[in-house]
Amino acid sequence: MKKVIETRNLHKIYTETEVEVRAVNGIDLSFEEGEFAAIVGPSGCGKTTLLNLLGGLDSPTSGSVIIDGTDISKFSSRKMIDFRLNNIGFVFQAYNLIPVLTARENAEFIMHLQNKTKAERKARIDELFRAIGIEGKEDVRPGRLSGGQQQRVAVARALASKPRFILADEPTANLDSKATGELLDIMRRLNEEENATFVFATHDQRVIERAKRVVYLEDGKVIKDEIKN
Amino acid sequence: MNVIRRKINNLNSINIKMAWRNIWRNKLRSSVVIMAVTVGLFGGLASTGIMKGMVMDMVQNALENQTSHIQIHNKKFPANNDVVFLIDSTRKIIKEIVADPGVKAVSQRTKTFGMASTAATGVGVMINGVEPEAEKKVTKIYDKITEGSYFDSGRKNRVVISEKLAKKLNVHLKSKIVVTFQDYDGNLTGASFKVEGIYKTQNTMFDGQNLFVRKAELDQLLDLPQGTAHEIAVLLEDYNETSPAVEKMQQQFPEYLVEGWYDIDPYLRLTSSLTDFMLFIFMGVIMLALGFAIVNTMLMVILERTKELGMIMAIGMNRYKVFKMIMYETTMLAIVGGALGILVSVVFTWYYGKEGIDISMVAKGFASLGYSSVMHPVLELSDYMEVIAMVMLTGIVASIFPTVRALKMKPAEAIRE
Repeated sequence: MKKVIETRNLHKIYTETEVEVRAVNGIDLSFEEGEFAAIVGPSGCGKTTLLNLLGGLDSPTSGSVIIDGTDISKFSSRKMIDFRLNNIGFVFQAYNLIPVLTARENAEFIMHLQNKTKAERKARIDELFRAIGIEGKEDVRPGRLSGGQQQRVAVARALASKPRFILADEPTANLDSKATGELLDIMRRLNEEENATFVFATHDQRVIERAKRVVYLEDGKVIKDEIKN
Repeated sequence: MNVIRRKINNLNSINIKMAWRNIWRNKLRSSVVIMAVTVGLFGGLASTGIMKGMVMDMVQNALENQTSHIQIHNKKFPANNDVVFLIDSTRKIIKEIVADPGVKAVSQRTKTFGMASTAATGVGVMINGVEPEAEKKVTKIYDKITEGSYFDSGRKNRVVISEKLAKKLNVHLKSKIVVTFQDYDGNLTGASFKVEGIYKTQNTMFDGQNLFVRKAELDQLLDLPQGTAHEIAVLLEDYNETSPAVEKMQQQFPEYLVEGWYDIDPYLRLTSSLTDFMLFIFMGVIMLALGFAIVNTMLMVILERTKELGMIMAIGMNRYKVFKMIMYETTMLAIVGGALGILVSVVFTWYYGKEGIDISMVAKGFASLGYSSVMHPVLELSDYMEVIAMVMLTGIVASIFPTVRALKMKPAEAIRE
């Protein structure tokens, strides 16, 4: 399997406070195409920081993040924005949908940024909405969708641009068991059907159970890397 | 509003859609800003319209009563109005001028300073010798007659004076006035004239200084050579053509001084151009104040939407598109208010431009400056275009500061807000 993401001796040290915080402390890790992996650990172990570094939302203090053979930590901010747009999908804990746009408009928002045509947008969103099972709610705004439905739209948005991989930060934290189960089923199916690579930062046991690989973090270091059969 | 909403919803541009819908996320706040822009623009446009209307009225009155569009003089005459500085062969000149299709009418005048006296008092005046029929086609003093007529009797030695002069000299219709002045040779001369008509224009200063007699009679008293005059007044078909017409006539008659109304009465030009400048300054100040209000609103918006902005920057919206998104919203806010302000101003100007606003209660002072006591607000298409451009510019400029604030956000931190 081809390596999609790789980190080499990755460090992120916060020095804003009096106490130096080593949020990521020398991580060497790689994810392959089509993986469905979870980065887990207690609060403050560096999960979100690692995810932000992998997604180019933050820059490392030292070390590198290599995606498809390119060290993205050396990118200018402008190049990084373009790179994120075309290669990375994000799913956030609080869904973060744009309240004034409908479910469809939210999902195709990223395709507008990519200057895709109306026909391209329609075809892709129709396909994704069938997959996430919220047909009939396309023209509804987020405020009138349940948490589970909103997160499904957020997943559709993350996948709309056909990214190299999807980073999901605590995507199930605000969902009940039923919605979590349904969402994870959808993500697993998309992982298999679209060969989309999913990397979660989570401490949700339900996600950990479904993940094919679980990376355990503690104090900014990988303490265990488990690949399930 | 529903039609606009439907049209915007059907637009392909997600940015415009978002901007429009975002405006209505906080209806009260947006309505307050829109109202501020509406009232501000209306206030500015209405005041400018009134000011402009007054000035145009004043210019129109001045052109209609005396100045006309173009005047031709002996080059030395305007310096001291000495009667010896004449235009020769006036008939020939007038014939040539009238041949131009852009010319509506021409009249010739004899002018001299003198003293108008009655048993009661004496007043220094400008004595205008006119050819009544030709003058009627150029100026409208005949239309301002309040008593008597404008040389309709055909009798000799008749004078038309203003109400103001009549009051000063304590005369009525058919009263006699003795007018004295220096003739062509510098000798003191004069004659007695009977009041045939009394006029009143909106310019009390003009009224206090001008009386009219027949040119032929004045020429005789002044002992002027045949076929001469001090002034040839030209009325054009189109007032906007004054400048090229002046140039053309100056080339045609290089030995004389040809001037447009704006050179004859620089005060008219100054007031007229000052009004245009005032619109610019006035609206500029209003737009600046409104710009600050919009900036303040947009800063609140940015603060409220930190998380949302963090998300869209995280997923790949670049700086230019963030600027465009905020600019659309800011400009739309300004445009909605601007459109309403302009609409109200158009209705106001249209209605009161026709009906007029009577300010006769306070108009006495205005009249001495040549302003009418009934104001007719006037705004031209170019004024509205200027204001529309200013509104757009305000929207764009007002979006810069909030955008800078938005772009300073770090997406990862903003999402966690």
